[in-house]
Amino acid sequence: MKVETFVTADETRVVVTGDVDLYSSPELRKAVLAAVPRAKGAVGVDLGGVSYMDSSGVATLVEGLRSAKEHDKAFALVAPSPAVLKVLELARLDSVFEVRPER
Amino acid sequence: MAEPDDVRLVVSSDPQLLGLIRGVLQTWLEVLHLVPERRSEIVLAVDEACSNAIRHAYRGRADGRVELVLSRTDEWVEITVSDQGIPCPAECAEYRPLSRPAADEVTPGGLGVKLIYEVFDEVRFCPGTTRGNCVTMRLRRGGAAR
Repeated sequence: MKVETFVTADETRVVVTGDVDLYSSPELRKAVLAAVPRAKGAVGVDLGGVSYMDSSGVATLVEGLRSAKEHDKAFALVAPSPAVLKVLELARLDSVFEVRPER
Repeated sequence: MAEPDDVRLVVSSDPQLLGLIRGVLQTWLEVLHLVPERRSEIVLAVDEACSNAIRHAYRGRADGRVELVLSRTDEWVEITVSDQGIPCPAECAEYRPLSRPAADEVTPGGLGVKLIYEVFDEVRFCPGTTRGNCVTMRLRRGGAAR
């Protein structure tokens, strides 16, 4: 898994690629929870390049969403891959997140 | 009961090796001609069972062993994941149905076991009395669609 954070004036974007699992999700958690309080505008987590996501990845996204609410920031999943949509749907969490299909 | 074409995989309880387990499982499921959507659900649920062994039974220690047995009959796909770690409390393995939570009721944890029950037709947890856990997950092979 690779995580990169890009900051612009109106959005902070966390771009994730590869497998998000028990091994890699702590790194994603660190990046997301660091990005939220520092963001000037909205936070977008780009999941277009995610080949696999487990429940620890989903839990990380839930934590990001909660943190964004606490900090009064908008939080969206951007271009989630089929693997991400699948686990969100199985977990019945697909309607909890704001999803932006386009990058 | 082990059959000749069962696959047995023993891996140390290192989260870095979960990708290896998923790869082996993916290949095995391709051989069974399960449809891709079914395969990805099974890979997810079994990965959750292995992650639970690493995280809870071994408390994140990488020097334990996680064992998988993959077996099939004409009717069933059966996957067993076992460990020699700390037995999980009975309530951890209880059936918990998935509900559709409101946005502010969502909690980050506890999803793994729910996903296992969601994906498989039969799930049996058997925590040991002093050591080890075992979960057997079975899926009915109903026709060509799965």
